[in-house]
Amino acid sequence: MIRIRNGLLLIGFACLISGVLFGLFSKQHVTLPTGRQEVVFWHFWGGRDRSVVDHVVQQFNDSQNQFFVRAVAMPGNNLQAKLFLAVTGGDPPDLVNQDDPILADWAQRGVIQPIETIAKSEEIAKLDRWMFQPAQRLSKVNNRYYAICNGLDIRALYYNKTLLEQEGLQPPRTLQDLDQIAAKLTPDAATARAMGLYAYLPDSRRLWAWGYVFGGQFYDATKGLAQVDSGPIQQATRWMADYGLRYGPDNLAAFRQADQSLPGKPFPLLPIQPESMVGRYGLIMDGQWRTRDIVEFTSKRRERGLPCPEFGVCPLPSPTVPMVQGRSQAGWVNGNFFVVPAGANCPEGAWEFMQFWIGLNQPKWAAQTCAAGGWIPVSQQVVETETFQRFLIQNPLFATFVELANSPNQFPTPVVPGAAMFKRTVEAAAYEAMSHPEESVTPILKQANQRIQLRLERARSQ
Amino acid sequence: MPKNSNHHSEARAGWLFSMPWILGFLALFVWPFTASVWWSFCQYDLINSPEWVGWENYSRLTREAREQQGFGQALTNTLYYSLLSVPLSVVMGILLAVLLSARLRGQAIYRTLIFLPSVIPVVAASVLWLWLLDPQSGLVNYLLSWIGIPPQNWLNQARSAFSLETIGVLQNYTTGEPLKLLGSKDALILMTLWGVGNFVVIYLAAISDIPKSLYEAAEIDGASPGRKLLHVTLPMLSPVIFFNLVMGLIRSVQTFTSVYVLSEGTGAPGGSLRLISLELFLSAFSDLEMGYASAMALLLFIGLTLATTILFRTSRYWVHYRMAA
Repeated sequence: MIRIRNGLLLIGFACLISGVLFGLFSKQHVTLPTGRQEVVFWHFWGGRDRSVVDHVVQQFNDSQNQFFVRAVAMPGNNLQAKLFLAVTGGDPPDLVNQDDPILADWAQRGVIQPIETIAKSEEIAKLDRWMFQPAQRLSKVNNRYYAICNGLDIRALYYNKTLLEQEGLQPPRTLQDLDQIAAKLTPDAATARAMGLYAYLPDSRRLWAWGYVFGGQFYDATKGLAQVDSGPIQQATRWMADYGLRYGPDNLAAFRQADQSLPGKPFPLLPIQPESMVGRYGLIMDGQWRTRDIVEFTSKRRERGLPCPEFGVCPLPSPTVPMVQGRSQAGWVNGNFFVVPAGANCPEGAWEFMQFWIGLNQPKWAAQTCAAGGWIPVSQQVVETETFQRFLIQNPLFATFVELANSPNQFPTPVVPGAAMFKRTVEAAAYEAMSHPEESVTPILKQANQRIQLRLERARSQ
Repeated sequence: MPKNSNHHSEARAGWLFSMPWILGFLALFVWPFTASVWWSFCQYDLINSPEWVGWENYSRLTREAREQQGFGQALTNTLYYSLLSVPLSVVMGILLAVLLSARLRGQAIYRTLIFLPSVIPVVAASVLWLWLLDPQSGLVNYLLSWIGIPPQNWLNQARSAFSLETIGVLQNYTTGEPLKLLGSKDALILMTLWGVGNFVVIYLAAISDIPKSLYEAAEIDGASPGRKLLHVTLPMLSPVIFFNLVMGLIRSVQTFTSVYVLSEGTGAPGGSLRLISLELFLSAFSDLEMGYASAMALLLFIGLTLATTILFRTSRYWVHYRMAA
């Protein structure tokens, strides 16, 4: 009897402790203010971005008397299956943020609503005038808005300015300049090994960017055909594979492995050793978020009184050789976009929140958000606000990315059903070509093109 | 109370107590399995209703297997990984168990050290191996350099040690450049061997169960330690080896988490880590081709069943069960 009593007491005590701990550490449940419609918003932001998102949501909620956004942070991994379950189960969120190339797949399957069913026609017309062209490309399927791009990710070429100046070199303006810099700084693998750096190495995932820079298009929307094996893409791939010839594909593979985005792996342009002035590369292609790494690195070095190299950013240099119609200010763009799932309870509230976020009517709010998060706005109107101009003065490297965001030569992965496979297959083909630089790139790209075309046709028939 | 009524009441209670398991089995195994068989003959994207396409998914699988694309590549990768990792795990597990069963100081510490990796979560272990296998600063290449082996590319090389491509590399090898033979699948095998501890525990238990009298008899007959291992330990371990072989085979074909982490969910480099499980996952949840993925799953099931049946059929020739006294 005493044992049973003691047991019950123990269970009661454990429940009490659990209750106290739950009360202490669980977040306060957000209560819906009276008279307001709830807008459930799924996003995947974490870390320091999470607080920026929470701040935007709070600002929106404070500015409203009709809608109330409840932000739910969902792990981005396999978000697609979670959303599909929610939609088929009849309880979808009202708004979802995504950044994977799935827009056309979702639109085709009716998982998301066209924005024109929520927004007024004059608002859609305004979007066409107001939004950067690359952002529109990320938002449209067959020329209809199925998403609203809320931030762009742009790639450019970062360079170690101090290193280039020491060698009497200028930042590359053309692809030939880039090749010459590479040939001068690290003419072969032995020099690169001795120096502990490569001047520049193409990454197989970046064929998307270089393909566009070489003047190519991976997909012909009018004919509905993949053209991964077209002339400019072949030239871009050949150019990338030639770096494999110069340094040896195995050496490149070994060097690249250390660039994997692992916890604690720094931006490889930045020196690791305290006294060193060079990192693992002289020049490297990367996105605008790396400007944050450079700012932090520079301030840490200055605090410690250590020598600090200068860094610069330039657009991807285009080829100027005969037979190649390269594009200037070109590259591959992706970004975050909002979608409204089919069956959402409050699409009007979702649309209101989207406008608030991107700054369609009040650019200054969006400017604050972009400046706080280090994100690229989707409209020149937001860029021109005082807040964002101040941010650009404080972060001069960021300006190049913003300039590129307005370029008509920035293209995303084709927004077609099957885009995820399209992207993977192109990257795998580029890897294959760079791993066998002595072989012709044509059969590799032709084979990839066939596989993609089959997939696109299957996706169209679904 | 009549005997018949007692019997009925017992049967009812039996059914009632079994019902949670039966319901779970029907809902979580029989229903998904049946649905998957049905979907394998359909085009199904998780949102719209499945649409009957007959044998289309299977003919696509056959075509891809022939062309070594998609499923074909995944099948080759899986076969390479399974055919090397499973026998190596068995051999290494037995050798370690035999060593650890010897009476020596600190035996418990050695046993713990060998077992420890198998309790580390796969994700954590995979991230750890990403560091260990770094071609430039990883510990594995550093250790290999001690025995004169040049640094390998591991997770950044699609080419594997035992492949036709490697034969080509060896034939053309004339320069003084270091030979880089080991690739991503070899890295995965190495990682699997690191987690062989749970097999070792089973072998250890089985070794401790071998009657001492058999060793004593062998000693009287003048058997050397090697002969005792070959003619006493291995035959007596054969039922456990058989069990571990079957379980290891199933586990190797189902390997998913480690390849997902090591290749960032893409099967990179060059699709060399696209095992069937990852191919299936990407087809179903990234490309939304649930019908095709179901067909693949069904083929995987049939393949595993065949392999297990063959193992069972051959077991009569090499597995020795101890007769009860």
